[in-house]
Amino acid sequence: MNPRAPQLGAWLVTTLAIALLVHFGTLYALPRLVMRRALRKMGEPNSMHFGRVPTAASRMVVRPSPDILYASCPFDLSSGPLRVTANVPHSTYWSVSAFDAATNNFFVRNDREVTGDSIELLLVQRGQTLPLSDRAPEHVIVFAPSRRGVLLFRTVIDDDRHLSALEALQRQDRCETVRADPEAHRSGQVSPRLGRRAVWWRSPPASFKAAVPDHFRAY
Amino acid sequence: MKLRMTISAVLAGITLGLFATWLTVVRVVVPGGVENGPWRTDVGAGNPRGNPYTRARVALHGFLALNAGETVYYTATHDSEGRRLDGRCVYEISGHDPDARWWSITAYGRDEFLIPNPANRYSVSKTTVAREPGGVFLVQVGGADETANWIPLAPGRFSLSLRLYNPGPRVVFDPAHVVLPTLKKVSCP
Repeated sequence: MNPRAPQLGAWLVTTLAIALLVHFGTLYALPRLVMRRALRKMGEPNSMHFGRVPTAASRMVVRPSPDILYASCPFDLSSGPLRVTANVPHSTYWSVSAFDAATNNFFVRNDREVTGDSIELLLVQRGQTLPLSDRAPEHVIVFAPSRRGVLLFRTVIDDDRHLSALEALQRQDRCETVRADPEAHRSGQVSPRLGRRAVWWRSPPASFKAAVPDHFRAY
Repeated sequence: MKLRMTISAVLAGITLGLFATWLTVVRVVVPGGVENGPWRTDVGAGNPRGNPYTRARVALHGFLALNAGETVYYTATHDSEGRRLDGRCVYEISGHDPDARWWSITAYGRDEFLIPNPANRYSVSKTTVAREPGGVFLVQVGGADETANWIPLAPGRFSLSLRLYNPGPRVVFDPAHVVLPTLKKVSCP
């Protein structure tokens, strides 16, 4: 037997173990690095950023659709939940979608799934609380799996003649942090810490009770 | 193991690991998903429970893609004969409306961004395509402006994206067998 065989075996095992570690480590890290870089490029978190119709000069995100009007809201939930208010055109495809820090699309809702002309979302992390005044029955509560990520609004430009109207509608969309309200905390007017299973608050108003579960949908 | 051997094993392991990621995610030598003629799709895109290869590929080549229940994204990098798409050639896409609420076909350059052209034309869609009697459409990709349905190209490799928004259930559950537009090469210089 070659006296160097055990050494060669150990070398091969070490090399393979490190290769696997590096391979799966980079697979894990890549989407997170891409998202982190994109969030930096997108600008200030918890505020709306409206894009122009993509052209060959658009370099923010790969493979943009030139038929879609995009708007984004990079979010950072460390200072509180996020409130999103968006107009919903029913004449064309429209959607709001949410992506976590690992680029997963954890929530999407399109115009056909919204009955009214607008939608209000509350993006929260488990363990956060909301002032009761911010818990209207028509709110859709979405649980974010990560503190940071991005909301993307898509509106299909079905006809160039509708562009300015669709643009004007989109520019009214808002996203903002729901600020902690010390007065609400002192008087107990806040929800318990939110969790995926137990989402409730003290003394829910009758209108909310009546609306459960039709209007209350947690993701 | 002696120190020199340990160092060489660590260096070889790092190189091998990075090379495997480059091959599978950056170059996409073994693409995931399913084929449908010249089109390919991976319905695991955007899915939080999807596999790590799909997630990394989508982050690099289709960042912020919606999940398949909402949108199915097909990509073509080769024509129906299996030859790589070349911006100097002329291609024809033909077919009927795919099973979706809204669809679009867009050309992208090798850098995965829209291809600059004086006409600022990059795509055709369900609402902009001109149809023949019977609902069939013919789209010219590349060459000079000869038809109403024209997507200009520039020399070099390119790819096409077929987006199906609010796809029918068959598209989501059997993306390899639904009827999609065909992609044929017409001429090459």
